[in-house]
Amino acid sequence: MAKKQVILGAQFPGVNNFTVWSDPAAGSQIAFSSFRHFAETVERGKFDFIFLAEGLRLREQKGRLHELDVAGRPNTLAVLTALAAVTQHVGLVGTLTTTFNEPYPLARQLATLDLLSGGRAGWNFVTSPGAFTGANFRRGDHLPHAQRYERAREFVEAARQIWRGGDFAVLSRHFDIAGRSGLGPLPQGAPVLVQAGESDAGRELAASHADVIYSRHSELEAGRAFYADVKGRLARYGRRPDALKILPGANFALGDTEAEARDKAAQIRLQQVSPRSAITFLEQVWNRDLSAYDAEGPLPAIDPDVEADALSQGRAMRYDDRLATARKWREIAERDGLSIRQLVIRVTGRKQFTGTPQAVALEIERHVQEDAADGFVLAPHLTPGGFDEFVAKVVPVLQDRGVFRRDYAASTLRGHLWAA
Amino acid sequence: MRIALGLEAAQPGLLPLLADPGLLAAIDATAELLTLADGFAQPGADGPDALLLANWLGARSRQVGILPGVAVNFLEPFHVSTGIATLDHVTEGRAGLLVQPLRGARPAQARRAIGPLPGFPEPEAAALAADTAEAIAVIRALWDSWQDDAIIRDPVSQRFVDAERLHYIRFQGQRFSVLGPSITPRPPQGQPVVAIDLQASDDPAQAAGAELVFLGAEATALAPALRGAPLVFADVLVGDSARPGLRWDGSAGQLAALGRLPGVAGLRLVPADPARDLAPLLAALPPVRPGAGSLRQRLGLPPAPNRNINVAA
Repeated sequence: MAKKQVILGAQFPGVNNFTVWSDPAAGSQIAFSSFRHFAETVERGKFDFIFLAEGLRLREQKGRLHELDVAGRPNTLAVLTALAAVTQHVGLVGTLTTTFNEPYPLARQLATLDLLSGGRAGWNFVTSPGAFTGANFRRGDHLPHAQRYERAREFVEAARQIWRGGDFAVLSRHFDIAGRSGLGPLPQGAPVLVQAGESDAGRELAASHADVIYSRHSELEAGRAFYADVKGRLARYGRRPDALKILPGANFALGDTEAEARDKAAQIRLQQVSPRSAITFLEQVWNRDLSAYDAEGPLPAIDPDVEADALSQGRAMRYDDRLATARKWREIAERDGLSIRQLVIRVTGRKQFTGTPQAVALEIERHVQEDAADGFVLAPHLTPGGFDEFVAKVVPVLQDRGVFRRDYAASTLRGHLWAA
Repeated sequence: MRIALGLEAAQPGLLPLLADPGLLAAIDATAELLTLADGFAQPGADGPDALLLANWLGARSRQVGILPGVAVNFLEPFHVSTGIATLDHVTEGRAGLLVQPLRGARPAQARRAIGPLPGFPEPEAAALAADTAEAIAVIRALWDSWQDDAIIRDPVSQRFVDAERLHYIRFQGQRFSVLGPSITPRPPQGQPVVAIDLQASDDPAQAAGAELVFLGAEATALAPALRGAPLVFADVLVGDSARPGLRWDGSAGQLAALGRLPGVAGLRLVPADPARDLAPLLAALPPVRPGAGSLRQRLGLPPAPNRNINVAA
């Protein structure tokens, strides 16, 4: 039986705590030349798509704008459409909220991206925290938390109707719209729908409506369990297991030897978690001002504040049981003799493929062949050259092993994802 | 005399034309700027989103200023502000915003397409005009919400940005509020050029927030009344068209004469059928001065100071 083909997405390292800005090789995260370099590199590497995250309000910590991480990004759809003009094949996937957009304007914009890119548009549809992000939008905090997924589902269904072209009319709990779309039918029928389903409701929404899941289950065993669970949900919507691709997020660190790669990975983690970043991260869990603590010293003996409003705003991360998390982290730190910074490096790490190009390629292939994933959305730690080495050294190994395309066989994103 | 091109994103056959590198080079060589009217919720042919089409063109063109039309009354000012700021980053300083008031049946059609939503204006003239002024104020304030030097990358303090150089805008309007700051760093021009379309029936007061005014082909008489706006362009129709108004006869001499209309700084040439009219039009136009810097500089507009910096300090 032919080997499963690996799908590769490339996340642009911008506003994320894994983006290292203090490195001499770190360039602008806003100049178009950076986006262009990034896009041209991953297209040379025959990646399936570029992936952009979203943030519609600058992050805050202790009621003040957060200063330590990269901040400032372009408008997602605008920069993706600009990239469509300077690339030929690579897919263009943006994260765009269903909470602070409306179906007609957003579906029309995604249709425009699909049209101008010749069928390469993708949409990671998400929901946003109401009151915090809503402060920047006309409608403000308009949506009860419990209805966020319901609105997202109705939104996607409305968008699909608009993408078909011609008259559309939607009357549902969240929408009362009608009009006529002159853009359909689109080059790839509809933009590829990506969803980051995590909760049971989220997984169900992905199983019923999405083409791709962007998952956080990047370790082999956790990945296999998630993969089996989600693929198992598809039949009840009349969909085949292959109809939904599962792509965990992951980072990577390369070296000429295993030891060199490990050193590099450790160095990257130190750059990602500066002493002040470590304290800031701990404050998110403790929900207290910890600025008097030494990042190279032990964890605070004081317990988290579970009464006060959240100190940190605008992050995807949530710690529902602060006391239990603090207890667990103290145990880890005491057992292994870790400082605050070392502990934060340990607990905030996500999947990092570390090794020689050969070893990293084999590890990626193994996750795919063993059904822990259909591929990965990889995120480098540097802008804009973070994929230069990966494309030069890892991609050829994947190609030689027959699990990754040597050239694009299709012109649309759907064509890339379902090529095999 | 300055030459602008007036295109509509929804015009049939426009996309293949703009995809032609030769035609785009001719636009770069002959027009100071290009406006792309947006067909938001236009029945039958809404066409592509003009702001995105502008970013696509921006990445492939070299010289021409690009001003996409935006129906600001039916969109989020926050998204419009970051979209134009991104166009300015993509073009390294050639972006503008064409504020596009919808007229006739179109406000009601646009409202039907987004639904009746709190925070958006009722589709009647006074509410729309008031909302337009507020939307422009928000879009502009967000452009200034990052100081040019907000990104400090300071290894000593371990800070990427200096929060003292980022500013909440705290806009409070009649129907909506916006806190800020923007998510997008200040555009290269500081303030991309803001333009507005006016027709004969419009209240010239709407142009108060604009630096550039385009007068519809029947509205040339408004020019002397617009002394507040630094630059006024008059529309000139090109090719067969049933529309009344100024019309180009194909000669350079007539263009020069039209350019001497009182109160007019430039002409916007509006081809009736771009597939037929655009190439001959570009071939007949004189070349523009090459490489004259940002769109603001090309148009002779003053540099845009940041409202959040005390110039006296």
